[in-house]
Amino acid sequence: MTNVVIAGYARTPFQPAHKGKLTKVRPDDLAALAVKGLIARTSIDPRDIEDLILGCAFPEAEQGFNMARLVVLLAGLPITIAGTTVNRFCGSSMQSIHIAAGAIHMNAGEAFICAGVESMTRVPMTGFNPMPNPVLHGNMPGAYMSMGETAENVGRKYSIDRDEQEKFALKSQQKAASAQADGRLASEIVPVNTNETDIDQDGCLRPETTLEGLADLKLAFDQNGTVTAGTSSPLTDGAAAVLVCSLDYAERNHLNPLARIVSTAVAGCDPETMGLGPIFASRKALERAGIKADALDVIEINEAFATQAIACIRDLNLAEEQINQDGGAIALGHPLGATGARITGKAASILAREGGRFALSTQCIGGGQGIATVMETV
Amino acid sequence: MPKNIEKIMVIGAGVMGAGIAAQIANAGLPVALLDVVPANNSNRNAIPEKALAQMLKAKPSPLMASSNIRNITPGNIDDDLHLAKDCDLIIEAVVENIEIKKELYLKLEKQRKTESIVTSNTSTIPLSHLVADLPRPLATNFAITHFFNPPRYMRLLELVGGPETNSDALEALTHFCDVKLGKSVVRCKDTPGFIANRIGIYWMESAVRYAIEMGLSVEEADAVVGKPMGIPKTGVFGLMDLVGIDLQPHVQQSMLALLPDNDPYRDIYQASDLLDHMIKTGYTGRKGKGGFYRLNSINGKKIKEVLDLKTMTYRPTVKPELGSIAAGRHGMRALVEHADIGGQYAWRVLSKTLSYSASLVPEIADDVYAIDEAMKNGYAWKWGPFEIIDQLGPQWFANKLRSDQLIIPPLLKAINENTFYTKNIKNQQEFFTANHTYKKISRPNGVLMLSDIKRQTKRINGNPSASIWDIGDAVLCLEFHTKMNSLDTAVFEMMEIAIREVKDKHYQALVIHNEGANFSAGVNLGLALFAANIAAWPEITKSVAQGQKIYKAIKYAPFPVVAAPSGMALGGGCELLLHCDGVQAHAETYTGLVEVGVGLVPAWGGCKELLARWSQYADHPKGPMTAITKVFEIIGTAKIATSALEAKQYLFLTEHDGITMNRNRLLADAKTLALSLVENYSPPEKPVFFLPGESARLALTMVIEDMHRNGKINDHDVTVAQGLAIILSGGNTDIVQSLTEEQILSLERKTILSLVKMPQTLARMEHMLETGKPLRN
Repeated sequence: MTNVVIAGYARTPFQPAHKGKLTKVRPDDLAALAVKGLIARTSIDPRDIEDLILGCAFPEAEQGFNMARLVVLLAGLPITIAGTTVNRFCGSSMQSIHIAAGAIHMNAGEAFICAGVESMTRVPMTGFNPMPNPVLHGNMPGAYMSMGETAENVGRKYSIDRDEQEKFALKSQQKAASAQADGRLASEIVPVNTNETDIDQDGCLRPETTLEGLADLKLAFDQNGTVTAGTSSPLTDGAAAVLVCSLDYAERNHLNPLARIVSTAVAGCDPETMGLGPIFASRKALERAGIKADALDVIEINEAFATQAIACIRDLNLAEEQINQDGGAIALGHPLGATGARITGKAASILAREGGRFALSTQCIGGGQGIATVMETV
Repeated sequence: MPKNIEKIMVIGAGVMGAGIAAQIANAGLPVALLDVVPANNSNRNAIPEKALAQMLKAKPSPLMASSNIRNITPGNIDDDLHLAKDCDLIIEAVVENIEIKKELYLKLEKQRKTESIVTSNTSTIPLSHLVADLPRPLATNFAITHFFNPPRYMRLLELVGGPETNSDALEALTHFCDVKLGKSVVRCKDTPGFIANRIGIYWMESAVRYAIEMGLSVEEADAVVGKPMGIPKTGVFGLMDLVGIDLQPHVQQSMLALLPDNDPYRDIYQASDLLDHMIKTGYTGRKGKGGFYRLNSINGKKIKEVLDLKTMTYRPTVKPELGSIAAGRHGMRALVEHADIGGQYAWRVLSKTLSYSASLVPEIADDVYAIDEAMKNGYAWKWGPFEIIDQLGPQWFANKLRSDQLIIPPLLKAINENTFYTKNIKNQQEFFTANHTYKKISRPNGVLMLSDIKRQTKRINGNPSASIWDIGDAVLCLEFHTKMNSLDTAVFEMMEIAIREVKDKHYQALVIHNEGANFSAGVNLGLALFAANIAAWPEITKSVAQGQKIYKAIKYAPFPVVAAPSGMALGGGCELLLHCDGVQAHAETYTGLVEVGVGLVPAWGGCKELLARWSQYADHPKGPMTAITKVFEIIGTAKIATSALEAKQYLFLTEHDGITMNRNRLLADAKTLALSLVENYSPPEKPVFFLPGESARLALTMVIEDMHRNGKINDHDVTVAQGLAIILSGGNTDIVQSLTEEQILSLERKTILSLVKMPQTLARMEHMLETGKPLRN
């Protein structure tokens, strides 16, 4: 079988929606910047790229049309590169990696750009025109349940109190702050030039976070609940891209493969506890890879909310020191469509950087799904 | 036509300079805001930039829309003075130091174009001192433009020219400040404190001194010199807290330095240990640790406290119980004749202040009108000193002064048994001048006052709630005159008659306008509550339907209807604006569909009209839900636009609607707008709605439930919001099905009638009537 590798990862800075430094940048432009930056860094010959697969959770308005094709054109890439936009909500750009891996396996192309983007400033979560199906809602209200509410449900189900969530969030902030200070984030960031200044740093981080400060925050979703803005990922603007190609292609063209994709999986679960999706998807992916969780050296699990990340870590019995080593989405931000590419590119990069054999990237998905990717060192 | 002023520079980014720059920006004009380069700061524009940041935070906001800040360019005197070469007007608002000012003028002289005008915002330095030995080109283009704080909200502008100032410059300044900045321009002489501060400071000094001497408490003094005298309820001590007690000694010293030797201020002035002590200990008023009043937090509760002048300690405020205050409701004379301490105090303060004012004609102004205008617009007094004397009766006042062995000013002697204001044979208002003759109040070009028309013409029709006036050029004006200009059946009747009058008697257009503080506070809540309390549901149903019918009649009348609001246009008042062909709004108009605050929804077509506007608004994301969500947010959270400019952002006003900066010009501008619509007029087309029905209602319900879960809204808020969601989603409809406006109106009616029957809604209405504040039940 053809070996598929991640041979490059880049992203724009992640900035808070509505008040950050990317509010005035169109999402298609943002995605084009990430893609251009990736191509420049990997020195791949763009003529070899089969397709640009772009994940986006709310593909309408500036994220509308077939944004992937437009990003090819915006990035000034050869018109021979095709483009397709995919939507699996928060799992969108991890899905784009899975599509590329499958295509390479069946010899439907050698090299793919798998990217994702979301401007949560310019296209609101739920989109401009939410029109839920009343019959479905009547039968299964969870289908449209707000993410915050699902986070509360997971917290209740797993008895994760506020204090535990805040300790987890603090740790995420501390890890991200030290990664930022050490330049471990800068190395993956493609600067965005707006108003003649380069935005080259993430803007969501709150390195000054303390447990006392977190304890003072108001409840964000449920006055009888436990989840606050401090234990949730912030609304974020950003784009990320990874290069997915065959190992053979990488070697022929002297690219630098970061990790080999071993297995992938998606899984459905109860929408009311959608945050548990990674448990079911990761179990499947690990089984397909023929390994147990204790074989993992690097784990990137998306922190949509502290409750769901803690529940998944507990349930999958993941080792704490391997998780989100450069910080998670609670600190870095979660531009829905871009996160899957970020955490998969990140897991591959850490594996290459720190050594070890297996890596897992996994995330939960609104509506009740999980997605996971298992990678192995090359 | 006076010379146009299009580009402006303001030098000095302190409170006044920044406020003036903000008001210029509000007028839509570009303005450079300069200050000195700060020591120890690498950012050379740090001072004006900080002022801009402050503008965005300040409440009440100096900006009518935050985007206006883009009209202001920050800079510094060292690097950017050359920008003056493009400016038509340069306003200096730097520190009150004559040397610094003059040095700046000389620097400026090398940069500015010769025909540009330079003004100072000084309040303490005479113009004659400022222009002495200035180069001639500057002296001829130099004047004082004295703004009041805060410049957006205080209407007075004192304009002082010198003997050398050329008249074109003064005319251009008058026009600019009046039309562009919306100020009431009063020409003043070059005398200390000009008009408003000369009298205002004397009044403050006497009010404070006598309160202490006579042993009144702070609340008592403020209650007497406040509302009964037509002075803002802050009274005198509250006013000092507001402006800053530490300012007082500066003001006093500058007056003492400049006033003539025999000026009565010197007698009333007294160095105050009390003020010195308060300033030294940081009790400088609202900006300091507290002042004569302070808000103290006790167990998380805010308690208003007051300084006990005898013990010099704070205690909770007590509502003053003085017979004189109650008597004051029957007029100023009843107040000053009352025997209690309040009455005696009122007499001492008023007798002093009014006599002083009368003694200053012609020293500070040639007529009484200028003085009254200055006090009304600069100190927000309801009546000027001479209007107060007229209320007391000039002869009665003179006699009482005589019996108290006080000096009677010559002007008061001259008026004898007449009054300072009178009407001539044409019913035009006239005022008394320094040479003891009467002169007609002349309105500048472009000013049309309904009060003048009312004085001089017979009303076309009217009832106790509304009247119809002929305002010339075949245009009728419908005026409301209920309390707060609230809307009742009688107002609606008069609307119907106005429509008929215009049609039947071949008028061209209708303008809806009044000169009250507020255009309309919406439905008469008291009547509505009364009807609900006696379960008069058929009457309520009828009045909702009547409102819808008459507003539709206004919308589809075969002639243009233009509303000209100022102040509040809330609830039904705002719905009325939405139904007019055009609105000419005073810049200071406060609009909003605020019905949810009393547990109701707009039901005179407000939901329908705002939804139609947002559906057709090109600059909004497309799709079946976007307009619905936006209107749901605006009405559901009772958003209030705090300026006409902001009202355009909510589409309470359209881009075609006009904004008038000076309230006195509003009616004339509205009439012009109405007349401009007359040619080839055809009423608007009826809107057609395609609404998603149940799925939209569900989408909104999900938002409502999220807000309820996190405690942002309570149970009854949910009920009201769900009612609103039914209207905005189109009820039982489908996205492919068209709806007429009648169908949306019917949803409005059904929803309001179910809400008005709920006890929680009635409690909210009652609470609003009693306290003026929304109840969160």
